[in-house]
Amino acid sequence: MESTTSNGGRTFSRRWVLGAGATTLLTAGLSACGSSGGSGSGGGTITAFVYGDDAVKVQVKAIDRFNASAAAKKAKGKIKLEKVPGAEYPAKLRTAMGSPNAPDVFFNWGGGSIKAYKDANQLIDLTDIIKSDSVLKDGFLPSVLAAGGLSGHNYGIPMRGMQPVILFYNKSLFAEHKLTPPTTWDQLLDINAKLKKAKITPFALGGADVWPELMWLEYLVDRIGGPQVFEKIKNGDASAWGDPAVLKAAETVKQLIDDGAFGKGFSSVAYTNGGAPAVFAKGKAAMHLMGSWEYSTQLGKFPDFAKKDLGWFAFPSIEGGAGDIRNVVGNPTNYWSVNARTSNKDAALAFLRECASEQYAKDLVANGDIPTTANAEKLLDASPNPEFAKFQYKMVQQAPAFTLSWDQAVDPNVSTPMLTEINKLFVGKSSPSQFVTALKGLK
Amino acid sequence: MSHDTLPRPVKTPDVPAGRPTGRRRRHWTQRANPFAGVSTFIWLVVVIVPIYAMISASLTKQDEALGNNALKPPSDPTLDNYNTVLHNGFGHFLWNTIVVAAAVVAIVLVLCVPLSYVAVRTRNIWASSAFRMFLMGVAIPAQAVVVPLYLMIAKLNLYDSLLAIILPTAAFAMPVSVLILTGTLRDISEEMYEAMALDGASTTRMLFQLVIPMTKGGISTVVIYSALQAWNGFLFPLIFTQSDGPRVLTLGLFNYVSQFGVNIPALLASVVLSGIPIFAVYLVARRALVGGLMGVGGK
Amino acid sequence: MKGGSRVDAGRPPRGSQAKAGRPHAALALPAVLFFAFFAIAPMVLAFYLSFTKWNGLGDPEPVGFANWQKLLTDDRLAQSLTVTVLLTVVSWVFQTVISLLLGVWAAGRQKNRAILSAIFFVPFLLSSTAISLLFYALLDPNFGIIRGDTLGSTNGAFLAIVFVGGWQFIPFHTLIYQGGARQIPEVLYQAAAIDGAGRVRQFFSITLPQLRNTVATSSVLMVVGSLTYFETVLILTQGGPGTDTAILPYLMYEAGFKSYDFGYASAIASFLVVAATLLSLLMVKLSGFGAMRSTREGM
Repeated sequence: MESTTSNGGRTFSRRWVLGAGATTLLTAGLSACGSSGGSGSGGGTITAFVYGDDAVKVQVKAIDRFNASAAAKKAKGKIKLEKVPGAEYPAKLRTAMGSPNAPDVFFNWGGGSIKAYKDANQLIDLTDIIKSDSVLKDGFLPSVLAAGGLSGHNYGIPMRGMQPVILFYNKSLFAEHKLTPPTTWDQLLDINAKLKKAKITPFALGGADVWPELMWLEYLVDRIGGPQVFEKIKNGDASAWGDPAVLKAAETVKQLIDDGAFGKGFSSVAYTNGGAPAVFAKGKAAMHLMGSWEYSTQLGKFPDFAKKDLGWFAFPSIEGGAGDIRNVVGNPTNYWSVNARTSNKDAALAFLRECASEQYAKDLVANGDIPTTANAEKLLDASPNPEFAKFQYKMVQQAPAFTLSWDQAVDPNVSTPMLTEINKLFVGKSSPSQFVTALKGLK
Repeated sequence: MSHDTLPRPVKTPDVPAGRPTGRRRRHWTQRANPFAGVSTFIWLVVVIVPIYAMISASLTKQDEALGNNALKPPSDPTLDNYNTVLHNGFGHFLWNTIVVAAAVVAIVLVLCVPLSYVAVRTRNIWASSAFRMFLMGVAIPAQAVVVPLYLMIAKLNLYDSLLAIILPTAAFAMPVSVLILTGTLRDISEEMYEAMALDGASTTRMLFQLVIPMTKGGISTVVIYSALQAWNGFLFPLIFTQSDGPRVLTLGLFNYVSQFGVNIPALLASVVLSGIPIFAVYLVARRALVGGLMGVGGK
Repeated sequence: MKGGSRVDAGRPPRGSQAKAGRPHAALALPAVLFFAFFAIAPMVLAFYLSFTKWNGLGDPEPVGFANWQKLLTDDRLAQSLTVTVLLTVVSWVFQTVISLLLGVWAAGRQKNRAILSAIFFVPFLLSSTAISLLFYALLDPNFGIIRGDTLGSTNGAFLAIVFVGGWQFIPFHTLIYQGGARQIPEVLYQAAAIDGAGRVRQFFSITLPQLRNTVATSSVLMVVGSLTYFETVLILTQGGPGTDTAILPYLMYEAGFKSYDFGYASAIASFLVVAATLLSLLMVKLSGFGAMRSTREGM
C-alpha cells in the first residue's frame, strides 16, 4: 500500500490506459455481436406492442381471433400482444426498436411519431401492399389512411377509433345550474363564472401529463389564428411561433388559469392515471377538454357517469378569430406499423388484414369508438351511445381542417422541449411572451 | 470528589450503588429527557401516519376511498384490492426480483471476496490499482451510464431479459461491497496467515479456511447490501426491460400507476404487498439485518 | 488487532512469512474485468457518445463538440445543477440532524427504545419506488390525505422529494449513528458527568466529536445517495412544476428517453460523472476515508 500512495498518480494513469484498451476491444466485440441480431422470414410467433389503456380490449380480442384463424395457420405464426403501460409507451418503443428484441408490429400515432423509424429503415413500406389488397385499400377512409404515412408512402394501418378533441361536459351539473353548451368564447366565460360561484371547478385538466394542456393551445391557436398557423410551424418554420395568434392563445390560457378555470391542483393531476377523469366523473369539475377516447375511459372507469351524465360539444369559436368552429384538432386515429426486420412478415400482414375486418370495426364501435373504416357509418347504431358516435363521425367528416396533435406532428426532439414550455406556461413559470420567445428558439 | 477520582478511576464502577455511578447511568440513559421524548414522538407520528393511512386505505373499497379522507378507517374493510394486485402479476414480479437479488448476491460474493483478499494481502501495483479502481467506482452514479449500458445490452442481445438487470446491478454493487470486505479483511492478523503458512496451506486454502470464515460479518453485510440494491433497483429495469416476462417488482409497482390509476386502494395494496416479503425477513433475521446494515456504515 | 497489523506493516517483508497468504493478483482479475466491462467501459462509452448524434436507432454519428456547446449554454443545465445541489444539501441537513438525534437516542438500552427503533426502521424495508408510490397516492390533489396542490407548487414539490427521501433513508442513517454511538466509551461520559457537564454539553463535547467518522461515512452515503432520488422525481413530480425539480439524472433521462437525443444525454451523463467524482474525492479527503486506511495499514 505504501508504494501506491507515493506514486499514486502513475498507477492511476496506467489503469486508465488499461481501461481504454479494454473498452476498444469491448466495443469491437459488441459491434460484432450486433450484426448477428438480424431477421428473417418464415414461421414463428411475433410480437405486437400496443398502448395499454382501457381501449386495449379490442386488440386483445382481435389477436385471439387471429391466432385461431386460418390466416394465422397459413402464415405459420401467432401474435403475442405486449400491453405497454401508457405514459412510458414512446420511450419503451424506442428502446425496444433499438434492440434486437424489437416488436414486429407496433402501435403508433403516424406522422412525426414514426419518422425516426422510417429514416432508420425500420418500417415496411405498405404502399404497394395496400394498393394490391382490396381489403386494405377500400377498407379505410383514404384521408385517415394517408395520415398514417409519410411523404406519400403508407406505413400504417388504422387500428383504433377517430380521436378528435372534444369538450365534454357533465349534463347533470349543467342542468342543475341552468347552463347550456356554449358556442362562443364569451358564453363559455359566462358559464365559468357561474360555475365558480357554485364552487365547481369549470374544467378538469390532467396537467401532470402536459399533453392535455397542449390540447387547449391547439384549439385556441386554431380558433384565433386558423389552422394555417400551426401548419407553418409543422413544416419547420419555427418563426411561425411568433404569430400573434400564439401569443393571444397563451394570454387566454393565462387568463383562464388566473380565473381558476382549472382549479388549483391541476398541475399535479394526471390524465393517464385516471385522476382527471375521476375529478370530472365525480362532479368536482364540470367540463373536460379531451380526445374522444374520454368516452371509453369513462365507460371503463365510471360506467354510470358515462351512460347518464356525459355530454359533449365542439370547442367554441372566438369572436374575431380566424378559425372555423367546425375545425378539429386531435389524432385521426392510431396505426399499426410493421418492423422491417420482422421474422414473420406474412403473419404481420395477415394480422393487419384482420384489423380491416368488419368484426374488428364492430368491436371498436362496441367500445364507444368510431372506426375509420369506409363502412363505419352504418355500424354506428350498434354503439353503446349512437348519439355520441354520430356526433363524432360528423364532426370529423365535416371538418374544414383537421390539425394533427402538435406533439405528434413534430419531431420528438422539438416536441419534448415544446411540452416543457407549455407546462411552464400553465404552472406560471413563464409569461405568455416568454413562452413565445422560448418556442421560437426551438430548433 | 475530583481528588477521589483521579488516583483510582478504575475503582469507581466497583462502588456498589455509589453516587457517581448512579448519576452517570441516569444521566446517559435514564433520566427523563423531554427534548428527546418530544422529538422521538414527532418522528414516530411521521413514520406511523403514512403507514397507517396506507394500510387503512388498502382495505377500503375504491368508491369509498374516492370520497373519503384516507385517514378514516374503512367502514367495510375488504381484501379485494389485494386480490386485484395478486391477479395482476404481483407474484411473478416478486419472483423475478428474488431471482435478480439472488443472482446479484452470488456474483458480488464470488467476484468481490477474492478481489478483496488480493487487495488487502497482495502488495504489488496490480493489486493496489484494482483496489483503487473500485474505490473510484463508488462515485460512478448508475444514472450516468444508463445510455451506453443500454447500447451494450442491446448489442449483446440481452435487452428485455433478467440478465440485463442482474449484470449491471451486480457491477454497481461491487465498489461498496469491496470497501466493506477489505475493511473486515484487514482485521485478520498477520499471525493467523503465518500459522496457516507453517501448516503448508496454499493461498487458496487460506481463502476458504481463514479469509471466508473470518470475514463472515463483512460477507453478511455485503449480502444484505447487494440484495437491497437489487430489491431497490429501478432505473436498470426501467430502461433495459420492457415486457411482462422479466418485469421486476419495482417496475411492476411503477406500472400499476398507469394501470390502477386513481384506484388508490389497489395502488397502496401493492405497496403493502411489496413490503411484506422483506418485512418477514426482517422479523426472522432482525439482528443479522440490523447488524449487517450497521456494517455498511463501517461498523 | 490494529496494533498487530501496525507492527506487521512496519516490518520489512522477508522469507516465507512475508509470502503467507499473499495470493496472486490474477485472483482479482474476474472482478476487475467484470467491473471494467459493466461500469468503466460504459463510462468511457458515455464520453464517446457525448461527441455523437444518436437517436437510439441505427449508429451514432460523430458531431464534434456540438452537445458540449449546447450543454454549456443550456439554461436548464444551470437550473438543474442548482436544484441538484440544493436537494443534496437540504436532504443532508434534514437527514443528518434527525438520524443523529435518533441514533444517539436509540443507542440507549431500554426496552421501549428497542421497540420504537424497530418501528422507526420499517420505512427502510420498502423500496424507493414503493415509497414514492405511497406518497404519490397520499399527496393526490383530489383523493389523497394531504389534498391540495403540494406537488404542483415549486416549494411543495421540492420539500416532498426531500421528505420522501428522508422518510426512506433516515432509518438507515439512524442505525449507522446508533452503531457509532454505542462504541463511544462510557468512561468519557462518566468523566464529563463528574465534571458536572450537562446533557447538551456532553452531546457537543463528547458525542459529536466521537462520532466524527460516522458523520463522514453517513454523509458520503447520503450525498451519493441523493442522486438516486431519480425514481422519486420521476414518480412524484416528473421534474415539475415546469422544470423546477428536474435534477441532473432526470434531465439526462428526459434528454435521452423523451427527446431521444442520446448524444446530449451522454454529455449530461459525462458531466454527472465528473461532478460526482470530484464531489466524492472532496468528501473522501474531508472524511478521511484514506486516512483511516493508512492508520490501519500503519503508515
